[in-house]
Amino acid sequence: MTAVTAAPARPRAPRAASAVPLATARLLRIELRRNAMPWILPLIAALFWFDSYRPSTGQPPLYLLRTFWNMGQGHTIIDFGPFVAGVAAWMGSRDGRRRTRDLVTAAPRARYAAQLATWAATAIWAVGAYLVFVGVLFAVYAHQGVAGEPPWWWVAVGATAVAAFSAAGFAVGALFASRFAAPLAAFGGFFAMVESSQTGFRDTGGWALILPTNSNGNFQPDSGIFYRYLPDLPIARLMFLAGIAVAALGLLGLPAWAGGPRLRRAAAVVTVAGVAATGTAVGLASTARLGPHGIVIPALHDAASDQPIRYTPVCGRAAGVPVCLNPAYQRYLADVTAALAPALREVSGLPGAPVRVSQVGALYESSSGVGSQAMTIAGHPPVLSLPLGAAVVTLPGPDGHRGQRGAAQAFDQSLVLLFAHAFAGAGNGAGTPAQQAVQAALMQGMGVPIADQPAVLSLGPSSWAPATNATSGPVYGAARRLTALGPAARRAWLTAHLTTLRSGQLTLGQLP
Amino acid sequence: MNVEISDLTRRFGRTQAVAGVSLETGPGVFGLLGPNGAGKTSLLRMMATVLPPTSGRLRLLGRDPGSFGPRREIRRRLGYLPQSLGYYPGFTVAEFVEYFALLKEMRPGQVPRAVAATLEQVGLGDKARAKLRTLSGGMLRRVGIAQAIVNQPELLLLDEPTAGLDPEQRVAFRALLRDLGQRATVLVSTHLVEDVGAACTEVALMERGKIVFHGTPAELTARGEDSAAAGDAPLERGYSAVLAAARSAAPAPAPAPGSGPAVAKAPPA
Amino acid sequence: MTTAGVQSSPPVAGRQPARPALIVLRLPWLYLVSRRVPAALGLIAGLGVLLWASLRWHWNVAGGPAAQDFIPLAIEAGAAAVVAVTTYGPFGEPERAAGRWLPYLRLGAALALTAAAFGALAAAAAAGATGAAAGGLAGGTLALLRNLAGIVGTGLLTAAAAGGAFGWVGPFAYLLVTEVALTGTTTTPWVWPAHPAHDRGAAICASLVYAAGVAVITVRGARNSGRGPSPE
Repeated sequence: MTAVTAAPARPRAPRAASAVPLATARLLRIELRRNAMPWILPLIAALFWFDSYRPSTGQPPLYLLRTFWNMGQGHTIIDFGPFVAGVAAWMGSRDGRRRTRDLVTAAPRARYAAQLATWAATAIWAVGAYLVFVGVLFAVYAHQGVAGEPPWWWVAVGATAVAAFSAAGFAVGALFASRFAAPLAAFGGFFAMVESSQTGFRDTGGWALILPTNSNGNFQPDSGIFYRYLPDLPIARLMFLAGIAVAALGLLGLPAWAGGPRLRRAAAVVTVAGVAATGTAVGLASTARLGPHGIVIPALHDAASDQPIRYTPVCGRAAGVPVCLNPAYQRYLADVTAALAPALREVSGLPGAPVRVSQVGALYESSSGVGSQAMTIAGHPPVLSLPLGAAVVTLPGPDGHRGQRGAAQAFDQSLVLLFAHAFAGAGNGAGTPAQQAVQAALMQGMGVPIADQPAVLSLGPSSWAPATNATSGPVYGAARRLTALGPAARRAWLTAHLTTLRSGQLTLGQLP
Repeated sequence: MNVEISDLTRRFGRTQAVAGVSLETGPGVFGLLGPNGAGKTSLLRMMATVLPPTSGRLRLLGRDPGSFGPRREIRRRLGYLPQSLGYYPGFTVAEFVEYFALLKEMRPGQVPRAVAATLEQVGLGDKARAKLRTLSGGMLRRVGIAQAIVNQPELLLLDEPTAGLDPEQRVAFRALLRDLGQRATVLVSTHLVEDVGAACTEVALMERGKIVFHGTPAELTARGEDSAAAGDAPLERGYSAVLAAARSAAPAPAPAPGSGPAVAKAPPA
Repeated sequence: MTTAGVQSSPPVAGRQPARPALIVLRLPWLYLVSRRVPAALGLIAGLGVLLWASLRWHWNVAGGPAAQDFIPLAIEAGAAAVVAVTTYGPFGEPERAAGRWLPYLRLGAALALTAAAFGALAAAAAAGATGAAAGGLAGGTLALLRNLAGIVGTGLLTAAAAGGAFGWVGPFAYLLVTEVALTGTTTTPWVWPAHPAHDRGAAICASLVYAAGVAVITVRGARNSGRGPSPE
C-alpha cells in the first residue's frame, strides 16, 4: 500500500443527468459478465434438443405441426423455466449467501436498484438464450424446407414466460436466502408447468386458457398457411406472464432495506399493477370463444387478423383435372394428384364431377368435435374444395409418404373416402343410407374394396364411423349390387339419380 | 465535527450492545478499542447507517441519517469495511471495486481511474484482473479496503482492517490511514493496540457497550504506567489498566444460564 | 490482542457428565443441523402433502396414463432435489481435515434422508389412495422406491460434480428426460420410471445410480465450489 501525497479535498461536482444510465449500463455489464445463468445453458441446450427439437422431427414439414409440441404445448418453456427459476433464485440470494448485505445497504444507490441490475442480467441471459435456441430451431426447420409461417406470437409468449420464471425465482431467492431457495424455485416452476399442461387437457375455457402450456386453441389446422395465427390468446398470455414478472419484481422493493419511502411506495404500485395485469388477463381469457381461425377474445380482437394470407397456388393434374394446392403443401402435390386420380377418373363425365380441385383452409369447430373437414363440390362448373389441414388427414412424414408404406395407403384412402363422401352429397354427417351405399360403391371403383372400407371409414370423422366393422347389412348389400351392375350401367344409373341422391330423397330401396 | 453521537444505544433483544455512547470527532484517525463483545461493531454499523439505533442521537457529516434523503447523502460520502467482508468469488478485483464505486453513485466517467488508483494505493494494481476466489485472506482484506476508499470518503469506517495483513502491509496500511486522516474522519475498530498507537490521534476504549476511555494514545499509555496491568507494551498496559478499572467499578453481570464462569477480575491498580 | 483480564477458569462445579448415548448422538445431530436437515425434513413432509392432495383430487388424470405418472414423479424429483442440496457443507477445509467420521456422517445422512423421503411419499400415496374417488400411485410403493432412489442418485452425483448447492439440477434434468420418454416408446432401462414396477433392468439401473451417488458423496462429499461464506 502506498500513501499518496496530501491533497486538498475536492469540491464535489453535481451529478450529470447522463450519469445514471451510464452507471446502470456499467452495473449491468458487470452483472452480465459474472452471472451464473450461462453455466446452465449447455444443459438447457441439450434438453431443448431432446425435448423440443427431436420429437418434432417426426411431424410433417409444416410449422404449425412441427411447433405444436414444442410451442403449442409449451415444451420450450418447460425446457427453460424451472432451470431459469432455480438459477435466478441462486442469483437473488447472492447478497444473503455472500454476506454482502451490509456493504450493499451502506451504499447510496438503493439496494433495490442493485437487485434489479442483477435480475436484469439474469433475465437477459435466459431470454436471450431462449430466443437464440428458438432461432436455431427455426433456422433448422427452414433448412429442412418446413413451410408456412412461424408462430411468432408463441415465441413471444415463451420469451415472456422465461422472463417471468426468472423474476419469480429471483424474488424467491432474494426474500429467502437459503440453500433450498433454488431447488424450491425450480420445483415450483416444474410443478406449475405440469399442472398447466394437465389443466389444458381438462379445462378448455376460462382461466385455464391463460396458462402458457395449455394447448387448447393455440393452433388451428391451417394457421400460418391459409390464415394467420390469431394474436388474441397470445396477447392475453403475454399480459398474464408480464404481470407475474412485474409483481415479483415489485415485491423486492417492499421491504425496509430496499430503499427509501418513495421507492417503496413506487414498488407497491408496481406490485399492484402486476397483479392487476395478471387478473385482467385471466378476465379477458374468460371471455374467449373458439372461432373458425382460433381463439377470439373480443376485447383484443383485430379484424385485420382475420384476413387470409395471400398465396399463389401450385398446380398439377389428376386424370386431366387441375389440382391446385397452397404452396406450403407443395411437396404433397404429387401425392394428392396420385390419390385423387382414380377417384376423378371414376366420376369423370358424371353430373357434378369437378372440373378443378382447389385446396381450402381447414377449420376447427368444436361443435363437430374435429372440425368441418369434409370436401365439398360446388359451383358451376363444379369445383372440389379440398381441406388438407392437420385435422383432416394424417399428412405423411418429412421424407414423404412414398417411403412409408402404411402412411401412404392411409393418406390415399383418406382422400378417396372424403371425395366419395362429397360426391355422394353426404356433407358433414354420415349421410343417408342410400348415400352411404353409393359412397361405398364409388370407393370400390376407386380402388378401396368394400371389405377394407370399415377400417378406412375410421380414418374420417368420428361421426362417419360405422357402428360395427361388419360389411354385412343393407347398406353394403346395396353397394355390392350397385357395384355388380358393371361400369356402363352403373354410370347410367348414377347419371339419372345423382341429383336425387344428393338431395337426400333417394332411399336404399330405390338403389338397384 | 463529522461524527456527533449523543447517548446512543442499540439493543438486540435483551442484550444491550451499545449502552449510551457519546462521542464527537472530526478529521483524523480515531481508534476504537475493546474486547470481544464490547459493542464496537454494532457502533460502527450504526455509523455506517446499516443498523438503526434503538435510541439516542446520531449525526454524521452534519446530517441525521434517520431520514432517507440525508442518509443517502451520507452514504455517498461514506466508506465502510465490515469485520466480516462478504464478496462475490467470481468477480475480479477490479470488478468488485468498480461495482461498489457504481453503487456509491460515483460519476461513471471517473470510476475506471478511481478504481485503478485505489488498487495501486492498496498494493493490488497487478491483481486487478484476478478473480477474488484466487486471493489470499490478506489480499481480500485489501480489496475490502479498496472498495471502502474508492469514493474518497469523508467518513471512513474500518472494522478490523488489518486482519490477515502481514507486518509489512500493516505498516503501509498505517501510513495510508494517516494520509486519509488528513482530509477525512477515519474510525478504526481493532484489537491490535499497536495499530492504534501508530496511526491514531484519538482513541476510545469500549467495554460492555460503554466508552470507558476517550483520549489520546499517550493518555491511554499513561493510565498503565503505575499499574501492574498485563501487557508487553506501554499502550497494552494502559489498555489493560483501563479495562480492569472499568470492570471493577461496574457491577458484575449475572451469568447467562448454561454459560461458563465469569472472567476473573484483574487485581486493582 | 492483549491478555489482560484473561485467567484460567476453575472447573465447573456441580455439572453432571453427559450420558454416553447422548454423546454418540451429538455429532450426528450437529452434522445434520449444519446441513439444514431439519428444514429439509419439513420440506419433504410438505411435498408429501402435495402428493396426497394431487392423488386425492386427481390433479394428474387429464393427460392419460403417462400424465398419471408425471405429477408424482415431479414431486419425487423435488424430494430428491432437497436431499441433494443438503450435501453442501458450510465448513469447507476445517471439516475435511477434522477426522475420520465425516464419510460415515455423509453416508448416514444420505441414506436417512432417502428413507425419510420414501416414507413421507409412501405415506402420502397410501393416504391419497383412500376413498372411492381418490387415486393411487401407478406402480405402487415398489415403483416409488425405485424411482425415488434413482432420482436421488442423480442428485447426489450432480452434487458431487457441480457442488451441493446445484445438486437440484440433476433430478430436474432427469425428470425432463423422463417426461419425453413417458410420451414415447422408450425401452432403455436407464429411464426407469417408464418401466413397470417389477422390471428388473430398470430396478438395477436405478439401484446402480443410487449406489454410485451415495458412494461418491460418502467418499468425496459435495464439490466445494469455493471459499468464502456458504450458501445459507
